[in-house]
Amino acid sequence: MELINPGVVDLSRFQFALTALYHFMFVPLTLGLTFMLAAMETVYVVTGRQIYKDMAQFWGKLFGINFAIGVATGITMEFEFGTNWSMYSRFFGDMFGTPLAIEGLMAFFMESTFVGLMFFGWDRLSRPAHLAVTYLVALGSNLSALWILVANASMNMPEGAHFDPDTMRMQFDSVVKVIFNPDAQAKFVHTSVAGYISAAMFVMGISAFYILRGQHKAFAARSFRMAALFGIISTVAVITLGDVLGRLDYEHQPTKIAAIEGLWHTSKPPFEPWLAFALPDDAKQENHLEIGVPFVLTPLVAHSFDTPITGMTELEEQAGPRIVSGIQALSALRRYGQGHDPADLAQFRAHEADMGFGFLAMRHAPGQDVTAISAAEMDSVVRQTEPDILPNVFVTFWSFRIMVFLSLWFFAVFALSAYVSLKNRLERNRLLLKLCMWSIPLPILATEFGWITAEAGRQPWTVFNRLPTFLSASSHSVGYMIFSLAGFALLYSAFIAAELFLMFKYARLGPDHGAHGAHGSHLTVAHDRKDAFSIVSSLSS
Amino acid sequence: MSIMRLTGLAVALVVSLLFAVFVGDQGPWYFAWVVGTVMIILIAGAGAILLDAQDEQASEREI
Repeated sequence: MELINPGVVDLSRFQFALTALYHFMFVPLTLGLTFMLAAMETVYVVTGRQIYKDMAQFWGKLFGINFAIGVATGITMEFEFGTNWSMYSRFFGDMFGTPLAIEGLMAFFMESTFVGLMFFGWDRLSRPAHLAVTYLVALGSNLSALWILVANASMNMPEGAHFDPDTMRMQFDSVVKVIFNPDAQAKFVHTSVAGYISAAMFVMGISAFYILRGQHKAFAARSFRMAALFGIISTVAVITLGDVLGRLDYEHQPTKIAAIEGLWHTSKPPFEPWLAFALPDDAKQENHLEIGVPFVLTPLVAHSFDTPITGMTELEEQAGPRIVSGIQALSALRRYGQGHDPADLAQFRAHEADMGFGFLAMRHAPGQDVTAISAAEMDSVVRQTEPDILPNVFVTFWSFRIMVFLSLWFFAVFALSAYVSLKNRLERNRLLLKLCMWSIPLPILATEFGWITAEAGRQPWTVFNRLPTFLSASSHSVGYMIFSLAGFALLYSAFIAAELFLMFKYARLGPDHGAHGAHGSHLTVAHDRKDAFSIVSSLSS
Repeated sequence: MSIMRLTGLAVALVVSLLFAVFVGDQGPWYFAWVVGTVMIILIAGAGAILLDAQDEQASEREI
């Protein structure tokens, strides 16, 4: 059996990483800004003060720019599963396609429908009705994320499905198990709330810019206060959910947690330090220049003081018997496919849990056929396959640390900002205001590194312990992959440039521009429409 | 309050309770997200209203 060209697999991975990371520059802001708009509009409906309507409309305009480009970058990814990951789609399409379809039919349609009402309904709907629409937009955008993360959780912790040896694919069993998968729950809340942080920093940073310039003082002070409070609670929540995800990985993906912690050998509790700095060397399987905080790793990962955490070397050794068992599973499956003998099926079932490890051994089997491995060759194939169970440790280790260090920075900035804002001393703290402004892109960077940790740490699998990445790609040519990759990079870079240009332009113009001069009049509605249409035409030109 | 509105609110209450019981049991983190998001919105809103009150108090002092 001929395997897919490794260069094509790497290019497919790089292309997906590129498109996903580009797309995810827009997503967090959408997830969080919608709820911030809802908060501002709630205050407007409760108090009746015009300034909160101004806030909802102005930040809504910036949300609109981000939303339009975010949607455009997301659509291509859904097609990419079919074009670049056809083997994966064949094997796991039932599981993965269902949440994606629900996302398209339910959340995306809901979000897209109500976003129009939100922009153009200010003078057509009653205040409570418009508020309800804003909440539905917020719910819709977050439900979109929910279904994507349900699909992603199925890859990280497959539940609610079984492998069918007749169709050679994973079949859907239980929608409840898929939706309520613990990984989906924790990942959804972690990601959604990370979006709240991105939005809070965005609103706080731009408000800080106005305060520093002495512009729109009342508007900026209220926006800043709301964002600071929104941000500090969200940061506490995101750190809590990060711990929950770490705990789940410790239980279900020990290779990922060992790579995150740069733990080559099983830990010695309770002293084992948490490494704040190290240079993991994947080839030599050791760390250089370790700087750690003693007594922290065990309670942090295992939530106990005396539980050893299995290191990567030991995890490799533990994988040996599973690789042998996986080879037996694939051999039985091959025989069952040829003769449909119940005895072969029974043997397959006995080793089914390790089938993925059999796939993993294919790269080292003679002719990439595990059924052709002789008894004399078995030990050599197993030894060669064992290191393949590990992800890229350097990437996983550092992407996790960058995310964690950034989240601690957000905690400090939001806590200080909330305190200073509550004391009404914002204008006297110019350094803090500058820090808020410069921190605008950092939460988006943190979510990107969070994704890299989750996805790079899952390797070598697309479906954890079931399907290796090198078997999941489509059999394109290298030339095709380079051409499409360059096309995506150019197109998406243009999207980013358009987003930055429009964001800077409208943020600099401030809330007094256009619609926000004469509220509630027909003139305002016309301005609103003109602004919305000018944004859309700027994007399309 | 009309009987229709009362019935509507009662239905909403029952649906909310059933939602809370089911989601709280099956998906505690989803439930935490719903409750937490509402809490974040309310605290952020309360912060803004507090600023209005602080501004009014400052204006009164100046007068």
